[in-house]
Amino acid sequence: MIGASKLLNELKQVVKRSQADATIVCAEASTRRVARFAYENIHQDLVQESLTVYVKVILNKRVGVAVTDTFERAGLARCLRAAQEIAKHAPPAKHLPALPGGHRLVTDEDVVQRTLQVPPEEFLKTLKRLFQLCQGAGAQLAGSFATGEDELAVANSNGVACYHASTVAGAKLVTMYRKLSGYASGIDRDISRLDLEPLLERALKQCLHRRDPVTLPVGTYEVILEPEAVAELVMWLGYIAFGAKSFQERTSFLAGRIGESLMARGISIVDDGTDPDGLRLPFDFEGVPKQRVPLIERGKASGIVYDSAYGLLYGRPSTGHAPPPTDTEGPIPSHLFMGPGAKRRDELIRSCRRGLLIPRFHYVSGLLNPREALMTGLTREGACLIEDGKLSAPITTMRFTQSLLEAFQHVLGISKERTLIADAIHDTGSAVMPTLHLAKFRFTGRSER
Amino acid sequence: MPTPAAPKNLVTQLVRAIQRRGVDYADVRFMRLLHESLVVEQGQVKTISLTESAGIGIRVLIHGSWGFASTPHLNLASLRRAAGQAIDLAKASASINKKLLRLAPVKPVKATHRSSWQIDPFTVPLSNKLDYLVWATSTLLGPKVIKRVTAHMDFHKYTKLFASTEGACIEQDIIESGAGLEVVAQHGNEVQLRSYPNSHRGALAQAGFEYVKQLDLVGGAKTIQSEVLQLLRAESPKPGLTTVVLDPTQVVMQLHESCGHPAELDRVLGQELSYAGGSFLTTDRLGKLRYGSDHVTIVADATLPGGVGSFGYDDEGVPAQRVELVRNGIFSAYLSSRESAGRLGLRASGGAMRAELWDVPPLVRMTNVNLEPGDATLDELLHDIKHGYLLSTNKSWSIDDRRLNFQFTTEIAWEIEHGKLGAIVKNPLYTGITPQFWGRCTGATDRATWKLWGVSNCAKGEPMQLMHVGHGAPYARFDGVAVAPAR
Repeated sequence: MIGASKLLNELKQVVKRSQADATIVCAEASTRRVARFAYENIHQDLVQESLTVYVKVILNKRVGVAVTDTFERAGLARCLRAAQEIAKHAPPAKHLPALPGGHRLVTDEDVVQRTLQVPPEEFLKTLKRLFQLCQGAGAQLAGSFATGEDELAVANSNGVACYHASTVAGAKLVTMYRKLSGYASGIDRDISRLDLEPLLERALKQCLHRRDPVTLPVGTYEVILEPEAVAELVMWLGYIAFGAKSFQERTSFLAGRIGESLMARGISIVDDGTDPDGLRLPFDFEGVPKQRVPLIERGKASGIVYDSAYGLLYGRPSTGHAPPPTDTEGPIPSHLFMGPGAKRRDELIRSCRRGLLIPRFHYVSGLLNPREALMTGLTREGACLIEDGKLSAPITTMRFTQSLLEAFQHVLGISKERTLIADAIHDTGSAVMPTLHLAKFRFTGRSER
Repeated sequence: MPTPAAPKNLVTQLVRAIQRRGVDYADVRFMRLLHESLVVEQGQVKTISLTESAGIGIRVLIHGSWGFASTPHLNLASLRRAAGQAIDLAKASASINKKLLRLAPVKPVKATHRSSWQIDPFTVPLSNKLDYLVWATSTLLGPKVIKRVTAHMDFHKYTKLFASTEGACIEQDIIESGAGLEVVAQHGNEVQLRSYPNSHRGALAQAGFEYVKQLDLVGGAKTIQSEVLQLLRAESPKPGLTTVVLDPTQVVMQLHESCGHPAELDRVLGQELSYAGGSFLTTDRLGKLRYGSDHVTIVADATLPGGVGSFGYDDEGVPAQRVELVRNGIFSAYLSSRESAGRLGLRASGGAMRAELWDVPPLVRMTNVNLEPGDATLDELLHDIKHGYLLSTNKSWSIDDRRLNFQFTTEIAWEIEHGKLGAIVKNPLYTGITPQFWGRCTGATDRATWKLWGVSNCAKGEPMQLMHVGHGAPYARFDGVAVAPAR
């Protein structure tokens, strides 16, 4: 880890040397140790150290951005000069928000020393044990296991100085036995809380099912979506509808509908980058503290997230969702939570007479018709037919094409338990999601092997 | 942003130092990327950014297992530290791996390669680029229903230096240029999108600024403005089985998802199972499976001038090649690397290893995966279609974890009635099963209509790497395809 004082000092130096009217500098630093394996062989073992420094300057209302991956003084100076040069040649911007001021937030409370200091031999021992357990069960194993550390620092010429550091550890396990495969994943800031054996057990249970997979006719089914499947759908909602850009362009289904009931009363979705149950990140790339933003409250369209540019457009304060300065997608929620329900996951399964249990989806696309939140995607490992409240047989791959607005209007139950879903290797945000029991979900195709 | 030259001495010194550590094999790859991105929205500059990234990736093979580490610090002490890390990782993996990998042989060469360009885009004044983008977006503005217009340009300059313990030393310089437009229109509950000349960030080629000038963004702006306004009032397609003709922009996506990815040999061998999935093109099907009709010949061609999947040598020093993945409908070869070719006992690698940057190891990636042209004109291809649709410009894509069941939507379609193009159709969706779909290919247009496109967002690997890949395609016709409105 580079550390708060070194990172912030370097950024402040760049701000100080800038000849622009306003300057903002952000740095993202991360390290990942990633082992990928297939059929009990490690085929990729790497350490990736990355650093990205963004320099954004405003000069006579003209904006320039330059990016570098070096922390050497000469490289940073070159980057600053490039940003200033771009600004000199850029046309003046019509709407330019003032730089956020005064936020000073320095925290490393999400750093867990055990994750930072996991010895390489421990890392390997864990994998070896998983390989042995899987072989012992007569199955085969593929997947990835990663640990890492992340730092984000932001400084600007208006006094902002923010720093956050964190650690992460995660695994994805795919088990294979004859025609079936199983999957389980886990993630935690603290590697000692990432218990891989129960995960492996879960994945093995899916692939060691006593029955061969059945192929079902296409049609509308009751479904029980487990947290990873729910997370993928809700993250897509975040991308297509809960940000100010899609709202302004009116491609968001929330546009013109704030206050309307769009989903069942049981559904509440918030974005909260400060909640430690998610992979929190308490400020954004402008150094603005993250706000808790209700997006759907008891089924009603409630709000969207802003950065300072879209905040200016709508006469609202930023909610702390500014993306990196080179981004063009606009502010997007990345710490999503769905409120819990009253039943346990097993009760939801028991209450289903005939339906499908879906642990996760594959290749979901929410771009089909965003105004209706029409999405498509496929089932993957572990999908199972439920008959009379029991998991009766695994199913072959099925494709859904479904409006999420429609599906989330017919909620039969939401689990009490919620699970943190995130990727330890790729920073795609986090989601804390329950299991969701939906009355109708439209399947339009199936794979033929 | 002036940048330093490739550190050849440092790289060769490092290779010698690693060799002394007793590795079975190692390669050292310096890479520097300069990326300029300009985005104009509603006639206003949204972002102008310049990104510089430079560093060295070290890959070592010890007792049949890989280790990889990297550093942006271009001094011998940092590089030795990174090399030590890579060696430790390889030794650690070797301590538990049971299957030891064997690399397919390659003749080590000392060579240079430079892609072709006339005007270095990094020498073109910013104001020239911005004026062009502002002009293009101003053509699109006007009608009240138009909610957003975006124009963008992207320029990439890659400097690569590869050296291996086998004696290879290869320097490559590549420049890519691209641009595009996007317009979003909304009326009531109807929202429509059109892009030019293609979706997902326009067109991209290995070329200089001259390529962007040839794209005629202003002319294209007028066409897509007219089309997006018509889409707001258009009908959806009628659901059912029908004949579809895909234009080259959509054949690109069809090739990418249903042929390029499943033909990646590392994926076939299970190395992507925890992320993007596997492949139905299993090794027992090589040379036997009927992948498509006789009209279908698909090649991976890394030698094609202008393609963003082209190079002189791949990122493990294997020369660029033209490989027939599907020959007259029969699945005939994979995209491969030295490792995966070795696993399959092939004579040589197919030369498809590339890394997005210096800080990640190379993976098997698509080069330029192209559908070979047929011999028909577009009129001849449409001639005997009683009813069908011509689909253009990909909007969404999804395919299962073995690359069989796919579903695509496009931005626009036109009705085909008795061999003639008719009304514009909104929200078209089609779906199918890969070998069945390609098996129903009943023709493709000729070389005159064949076009090479660049895709800049091909994702693979953990950590995820975004690669630029090329696809060349004619118009292609498919019978008995399931079409539906995306609603």
